[in-house]
Amino acid sequence: MSKQKSNPKKVVAAGVRTARPEDKSSSEPRKPVILPVIPLLFLFVWLWAAVYFGHVFRICREYSFWVSSPGEMEFLLSRSFGSLWYVGRMLLQLFRFPWAGALLMAFLLSMGSWLLGYAMRLRPRWRWVQYLPAIAYMAVVTYHGLDIFFEAETGRILGIPFIIVLVLSIWAVIIRSFSRKPAPAIVRIPGDETPWQNRVQLLVIVAGMLCVMGYNEWRRAEVRVVCRLMDAQYVQDWETIQRVARDNADMSNRPMAAYYAMALVHTDQVATRLYDIRLDYDTLHVHGMDWHANNASGMYIPEGSYHAGLIETSYHACMEQMVMTGPTVRLLQLMTKCALMRSEWELARKYLRILRDVPFEGGFCKKYGAMVNKPDLVNADVEMAKIRLTEPIHDSFENQYQQPTFMGYNLALVEGRSMNALYNSLAVCLYTKVMPDFMMRLNPIRGTTPPDNFADGILLCRNKQEGIENGFTGLNLREPRLDAYMKSVQPYLKDRPRYARELFPRFKGYYPYYYFFGNLKATRKSQKGSNLSSSSGVN
Amino acid sequence: MQLGMRKHIIVRSIIVLGILLGIVRLALLFGSRPDAKVPGQYETLDQAAALYPDYTDVTIPPNIAPLNFLVSDSSATAYVARFAGEAGHEILVGADAGGLIQLDTLQWREMLQASKGADITVSIFAKKLGGWVMYKPHVLSVAREDIDPFLSYRLIEPGYELYRQLGIYQRDLTSFVERPIYENNREYADGENHCINCHNYRNYSAANMVFHVRSNHGGTIVVHGDKASKVQIKDSTIITAGVYPAWYPDEGQRLLAFSTNKTGQTFHVYHPEKIEVMDEASDLLLYDAEKNEVCHILRTKGILETFPNWSPDGKWLYYTQADISRNVDLTGPDSTLAQRLVFDYDNVRYDLMRMPFDISSRTFGQPETVVDATSNGKSITLPRVSPDGRYVLYTLGNYGQFHIWHKSSDLWVKDLERDSCYALRAANSSDVDSYHSWSSNGRWIVFSSRRMDGNYTRPFIAYFDENGQSRKAFCLPQEDPEHNLLLLKSYNVPELTRDRVQVSEHELRRCIYETDGENARYLPGRQVPVRDSADGVSGASPRRPATADATSGASPKQPK
Repeated sequence: MSKQKSNPKKVVAAGVRTARPEDKSSSEPRKPVILPVIPLLFLFVWLWAAVYFGHVFRICREYSFWVSSPGEMEFLLSRSFGSLWYVGRMLLQLFRFPWAGALLMAFLLSMGSWLLGYAMRLRPRWRWVQYLPAIAYMAVVTYHGLDIFFEAETGRILGIPFIIVLVLSIWAVIIRSFSRKPAPAIVRIPGDETPWQNRVQLLVIVAGMLCVMGYNEWRRAEVRVVCRLMDAQYVQDWETIQRVARDNADMSNRPMAAYYAMALVHTDQVATRLYDIRLDYDTLHVHGMDWHANNASGMYIPEGSYHAGLIETSYHACMEQMVMTGPTVRLLQLMTKCALMRSEWELARKYLRILRDVPFEGGFCKKYGAMVNKPDLVNADVEMAKIRLTEPIHDSFENQYQQPTFMGYNLALVEGRSMNALYNSLAVCLYTKVMPDFMMRLNPIRGTTPPDNFADGILLCRNKQEGIENGFTGLNLREPRLDAYMKSVQPYLKDRPRYARELFPRFKGYYPYYYFFGNLKATRKSQKGSNLSSSSGVN
Repeated sequence: MQLGMRKHIIVRSIIVLGILLGIVRLALLFGSRPDAKVPGQYETLDQAAALYPDYTDVTIPPNIAPLNFLVSDSSATAYVARFAGEAGHEILVGADAGGLIQLDTLQWREMLQASKGADITVSIFAKKLGGWVMYKPHVLSVAREDIDPFLSYRLIEPGYELYRQLGIYQRDLTSFVERPIYENNREYADGENHCINCHNYRNYSAANMVFHVRSNHGGTIVVHGDKASKVQIKDSTIITAGVYPAWYPDEGQRLLAFSTNKTGQTFHVYHPEKIEVMDEASDLLLYDAEKNEVCHILRTKGILETFPNWSPDGKWLYYTQADISRNVDLTGPDSTLAQRLVFDYDNVRYDLMRMPFDISSRTFGQPETVVDATSNGKSITLPRVSPDGRYVLYTLGNYGQFHIWHKSSDLWVKDLERDSCYALRAANSSDVDSYHSWSSNGRWIVFSSRRMDGNYTRPFIAYFDENGQSRKAFCLPQEDPEHNLLLLKSYNVPELTRDRVQVSEHELRRCIYETDGENARYLPGRQVPVRDSADGVSGASPRRPATADATSGASPKQPK
């Protein structure tokens, strides 16, 4: 306390104002406020893991697999550190409810910090050091971004903090046994700290976390967005997907575009709202298990194929991923749905049996278990019924389609099961800028007022095929906008890559903008090819 | 109260609580299982119990591991199973509502030995709300003949393009012990990943074994006793390396026939068979492991020869053959052959062929057709001659050669003595029944079937009687019958042997990782002069060496 009195500066922290000794209105000097740092760290980490990164950790859990049976986990247990990753995966299950998982993470990080301080016998002036590992942990998680779960060992996420806490606990017990050194308070305010020392600790934590979150917003902004979309997709919340994607329209990456397209398919907006987000695809910080740069196609091809009605292709993609990474909740769920869609009841039963042992998957097993052997229930499911509309009519092989298959199938087939299939097909033709195929498929909708994107596409095709616009109504309403657009972008056409980003806010949602300025990397690639219709290169 | 005393009480309370919880847990584990006692009163039902796997009315070897199974009846709270064998042998097993019937191995063995050539009657009792019921009993017929006690197989995820962790394992059929023969790297490593496939033995003995390693550390591994060596069966005239192997049966000759195949696969978009694996070229090779020499047996363009298998006396080489000149124009460029073939994939059909072999001169005679499947719109693969040389067991499907993905595939037999062909109806199912092998006494066959869920292959064992007919097949028994549900890998290439593999995993690892493998010396001009479908001259069209992984249909993951 003597140090405290000699320090003229007093602490203002957490909204609490401390008394100044020279304040004459006060009859006696107020006690300086010293905040309990460990509980505050717990709170901050909880907020970070539950609120800020909650969707990310929830997806980590979906990309993981844990059951208690060692036999089923043998693929993991037989690897180096397998037992540790087993424990890590087990703990990760709590992130089924991010608030609960975050409690555990906050406990591990704050307990680890406290134990480190104790085990290292840190003096109060050096006590801020004990928080650095927790901040470093958050920094590493942030830095890795999507790599923390994509083709990665998800057991590390909580396994590493767990083992550190365990080792520190043992260390602390040993120290306690031999030296009888008193442990610093966890919940109570430490009595041996000066306000300044207390303030430094808080500063380290707050500044560290702000830096971590700042870095995330600056360099890994897509991580939270993509995970939020994926999370919404699991619960078929198509409205949230659209809202989040449009809120981040300027951010462009393939997973986001794929999940946005899935939401549009399910809400019948694929012909009108596809270009509300930028579709240029910035490079993602994603690496597969081989640590080479990766376009994260594994994050959306299984789901993309499924929602495009290509059930076998989706199952194929799931199986390939399962071979490489082992089972995950996400893959097993999707494979169950594929099996149900293809009436492979015993196969569905198998996957449901495996999922039954995964904590918190009872709801999924109950819902889809009821569909086994009951095709009527499968067809009555809203999501599955929608997908059924776009299933192929005829069999063919994946390699006869443009890749990725879930984008290309519409180009290879001219027969569809429904108008939904035709609309998807036309939308894909516009997206891939393969106008001959687009024109070839227009006949069934002649005599109608086409949706906005189709109308704009038809108007753009007039130069390629005279009279293509005949038989459609409402085109004249969009014609003036196209003329105005063409005039306004004329100066920019010479250097499209340079101006594409600049023009996006002005023409967001407008197909002719995408046609001339969108997805240029892929368009250039396609123009090098000899056969545009079969190899547009846009994917 | 002093602080130390309080702590002491807390610690002691925790220990006592832990012990109590343990006791409760043990009580739950053992207390819920009913006594294995046949109920005094029960109602007899006319329906059979629902068992998983289906072990009802099957014929089993007297040396097989216990046939553990699950009974499922949602309204039952407990079960008792009674196994009644010869000479008053009886086994009683109790189960809780989970329905897991697990037999005691010693009791089971005793019962089987006492019941050779007789039946075991299995009665299952279930406790329901209204009291005990007894389902319609079923029978296990115990054959007199043992099955070869060791079964080798590869465990790999079913099909598709990629592989990661896989291995070849050997299971002791008299127990539940499974031992890895060789496993590839457990952890992903760019320079280490490799595939292993096509294990094969000579004369039902694991003393001589062969398998291939593809990708990193690639080569053919030839095992002799407890030593392994790696060879590279390559030449500019050989399509790929050796693929499907067949050991020459004579112990004095270390000869192997191989097919060499250029194989590709493609994926259905809307078809229950999911995958189509096709060859666009294949020939036959003869490899001398003693001298490390290889030569062509057949080298033809437009005719695909594959799946060699020797007759037990070594005088005939059986194989299957397809003439793809019927399907595609062979004058087109080789580079597009596969694409052109894909459009007609369901019209590529294979016949069963054989050619005589003279070991003294090591020459083959002219090929002859054994079964003309093509004329009947069918396709034959995987001929395996029975140990007595009388029967050829093969897989018959509607088209193609990779029947493990064809729902139409069934096991068929050619009786060489009576010159008749027939299906093994009792053993077959409505789903895939393919890769098969014989027990050394010719009384048992083991084969891969997808009948359980249509996707994951499981080994099934069937009795093959003296009249050349099979009995109903049963799934390889597991200690926990749910293993078949929980396992996410397929059993691939089941092969029976009389003995355990002698070579250690360490020796195989040394051979694979530390040796490059000597190139086999190619002996040109040895192939049989048969008519070529394209240009009429065998071996006249040199092929470029191909690098595709021909057997597994799998390829290592490529950097993205």
